[in-house]
Amino acid sequence: MLALLGGSATAGLAGCSALLEGDGNGDGNGNGNSSGNGNGNGGGNDYEVSEHADKAQAAWETVQENAGPDGEEARTQAYVEIEEAVRDDMVMLPLYHSKGEMFWYDRVDVPRVGALGPHQQTHNETQIEGDTELNLVTSSFDELDPIMSTDTASSEVINQMYETLVHYPNGVNEIENKLVESFETSEDGLTWTFTLKEDVTFHGGEDLTADDVVYSFRRLAESEYSERSNFLVDTPLGLGLEHEETEDGGIAPDSIGVEAVDDRTVELSLTTPQPAALDILTYTAFAVVPEGIVGDIEGYDGEVDHNEFATGMANGTGPFQFDEFNPGEEMRVVRFDDYHGSTANLESIHWEINEDPESIFTYIMEGNADIFRDSQVPTPQYDPSLIDAEEDDMGREVGTYGPLENDETVNYLGVPELGTYYFAFNVSNVPRPVRQAIAYVTDHQEFLEDVLKQRGFEAFSFTPPRMWPTGQDGYDQWVDEWQYGVNETDIESAQQVLEEAGFTADDPFELTASTYESGPEYAEMAEIIRQKLADLGVDIQNQSTQFSTLQDRGEDGDLEMYSLGWIWSWPDPAYGHFGFEPKNTDTSRMPNEATGYYLDWQVNLDEEA
Amino acid sequence: MSRWRYFIKRLLLSIPVLFLVLTFVFALLRMGPVDPVAARLGPEASGAEAQRMRERLGLNDPLWEQYLDFVTDFLTLDLGQSWVIYGDWEVTSILAFAAPPTLWLGFWAILLPLFIGIPLGFYAGLNPNSRSDYLASVGGILWQAMPNFWLSIILLALLRQTMDGGWFGFDWYTFGPELGSITGTPDLAFFSVNWVDLGAAAVPLVTGIDWGALATDIKFILPPALVLGSASMAAELRIGRTAILETINSNYVETAKAKGLTNRVIVWKHVFRNALIPLVPVITNEATLLIGGSVIVESIFNINGLGRIFFLASVQGDLPLAGALLFIFTLIIIFLNVLQDFLYTIIDPRVGYER
Repeated sequence: MLALLGGSATAGLAGCSALLEGDGNGDGNGNGNSSGNGNGNGGGNDYEVSEHADKAQAAWETVQENAGPDGEEARTQAYVEIEEAVRDDMVMLPLYHSKGEMFWYDRVDVPRVGALGPHQQTHNETQIEGDTELNLVTSSFDELDPIMSTDTASSEVINQMYETLVHYPNGVNEIENKLVESFETSEDGLTWTFTLKEDVTFHGGEDLTADDVVYSFRRLAESEYSERSNFLVDTPLGLGLEHEETEDGGIAPDSIGVEAVDDRTVELSLTTPQPAALDILTYTAFAVVPEGIVGDIEGYDGEVDHNEFATGMANGTGPFQFDEFNPGEEMRVVRFDDYHGSTANLESIHWEINEDPESIFTYIMEGNADIFRDSQVPTPQYDPSLIDAEEDDMGREVGTYGPLENDETVNYLGVPELGTYYFAFNVSNVPRPVRQAIAYVTDHQEFLEDVLKQRGFEAFSFTPPRMWPTGQDGYDQWVDEWQYGVNETDIESAQQVLEEAGFTADDPFELTASTYESGPEYAEMAEIIRQKLADLGVDIQNQSTQFSTLQDRGEDGDLEMYSLGWIWSWPDPAYGHFGFEPKNTDTSRMPNEATGYYLDWQVNLDEEA
Repeated sequence: MSRWRYFIKRLLLSIPVLFLVLTFVFALLRMGPVDPVAARLGPEASGAEAQRMRERLGLNDPLWEQYLDFVTDFLTLDLGQSWVIYGDWEVTSILAFAAPPTLWLGFWAILLPLFIGIPLGFYAGLNPNSRSDYLASVGGILWQAMPNFWLSIILLALLRQTMDGGWFGFDWYTFGPELGSITGTPDLAFFSVNWVDLGAAAVPLVTGIDWGALATDIKFILPPALVLGSASMAAELRIGRTAILETINSNYVETAKAKGLTNRVIVWKHVFRNALIPLVPVITNEATLLIGGSVIVESIFNINGLGRIFFLASVQGDLPLAGALLFIFTLIIIFLNVLQDFLYTIIDPRVGYER
């Protein structure tokens, strides 16, 4: 039996409104395995690396067991418990949530984007006074094949030409139908049936049918070019579509659980319920291409070869169609007049591909870019005092910025985006009192002002406030309960916790903080922490390395304190919390069997993993 | 040893150099700290995904087999594919679109100093210790002291502020051919080509030149070329000055004067020619400096050329692409060295290991 979810999908954030009673703060899991080798003073400050790993493990298992539609309340509570365990054990210190800033000249009329980022915005509603071409700047990307797209630069372009079944309009966190008219899900949550919209045509003139969807999903699963087939078959990070595996671990041809029931009906069969199924389907890789266009899966010869498909053409259902692409230089798309939705006002969109901050800034000051972003204004040229903005009902800052170097004042939008930047610890290398001391001396507000020039929002949880499982009130309460001092440097508590553990300035704990070179702000933050703790019994060495080196060392379990960030591709807490499951943080099983953060949080689990 | 045996010996010496470079590049690719598969897939990918890609890229084969493949591929100019920057693109097709802008930039970066640096140096040398000599020499030293990245940024900032009339109403954008932006890649579409079929092979023939587009492309490339050539310009100025001073005070010039030749004939016929000899190796050596310099200048001026791509490849862990470009750069440098030896051999009779 099918339970009708609704014709027009407005499934918001799972559990956003369910306000949880009781903060579940008491960790009643009696995890008394004391491997304490220090001055076990019973106050939870002994040498044991963690007390709350069991709580996190249990909570994650709760999330897994309650994946069905009626498990929302249990999941919500479990997400909060995971956050509590992370906070109380201080395995990860959230620093800031990303702030996406958009600037646009007065001549442009563009809808405000939401938390999921401007790359989700299709420009069919955008208008420019006195011009028919929208000019944008983007960073380097190399392919237009949706199943190869893993970066925002390519997905921004691909999203103008290709479409997914459902989408976040303008990146606002409310899913709407795109290529589908309606959908249903079975009571057990395992079968999803989508009815496709009528009269949808591809740029090449073909009509959209269910077979196109099947073919597109099969490419995502089976093609050798696919870089996100895990989003299709994995659980809990993907849809968890039914499939068979080949001997060498690939996906067997034509084995995935997607079926064309008739011309306009597609059925997906999942192995476990996936509450975030619709969110996942908004990812660029799930875009629909015409059946048989490339011969990179079994049963198709292809109309064009893959090289051509990836860089020389595109054939989607989006409001704009391919015009020209010069990798490393520029990309242009032009309006598609037979678009099934509202036809674009613009005639074309042009992207200048540019990676250098000075050059981008020059391009913008010349007035060549109509819309630009925070990442495109070099930090030395950025002045937060030029912002004149007020907060709207979605927590966005709306107003103006300027005057710029060219004397123009531009429109401004500051959006709290779904990204979290943090310092984390390999808990078996860093004792808990040290981790807590670092949290005590961390002043988020100071970082934001001194290091980030206000280009971010202070973070006290891994889950961004906009998708906090118990809503805004629950989040406010969370911040109230943050025990390490909200926006203050709590030297006394840090000193106390360190002294109880036996670390003094004469006999300090030595710690290496690894940051990556492409994020120099982390190094500055680590330096501030180093100075504050120098007299208190923690001797921090700052080390800046390449991003990939940091990853390698994390997988080897070599890191002590390290910097990283996480950006949500869809607003599901599980797509982020999976990395905290203590058993999944076991670096000795990385990178193949374990995929969590480099925490080694499993070491103090009651039952061995 | 005869001059030609010397030259051939130098030529043969470049073969072990080539192998050393190949081995070095290979070691960097396969054994270095950067994992290109991780760089390509990003932190969201699963281990199985990475494993599949490793298999596809042949990274699970024995190392010696990979080395043999690598060396034979490179020596037959099969440079492999980019992994990160231009996923799965053949390096040769990347070269096809990235090399022309770099050549265009390099051409002007060599030409500008030649036509500014050498004449200024000669002028200074002909008027030693005069006010204008000091001005040229000090200016040259200052010019050379300014690092390229700094000069690029300053030049960008100065030029973009002339938009809609800067100082004295000078607007670089509308001065001469109009420019939309001072950054970006030159079009280089100012000529039209017809492929003439000669039976066995087709030969490109330039049939027409769009002078307006050519002027735009030249104007466009002038600022970055000026920056890129700045160091060479100053070096040529100073060496040119010294060379003139040396020749002007040599005996044969005295003899010429004694013979009653006019100053004009002495300078043009005797001094200039001989003063050019020490400049030849300087100019060929500078061509190698340009390769390094283009990394910075192309990045800041956003020219989609080899330098910028090499920079991106190094920063983003695209080792196959970086390695292939490194190999190409090595080939160019080896070629330039051979060319220099060749020029020496024909110009200067004193060349050879011993007389």
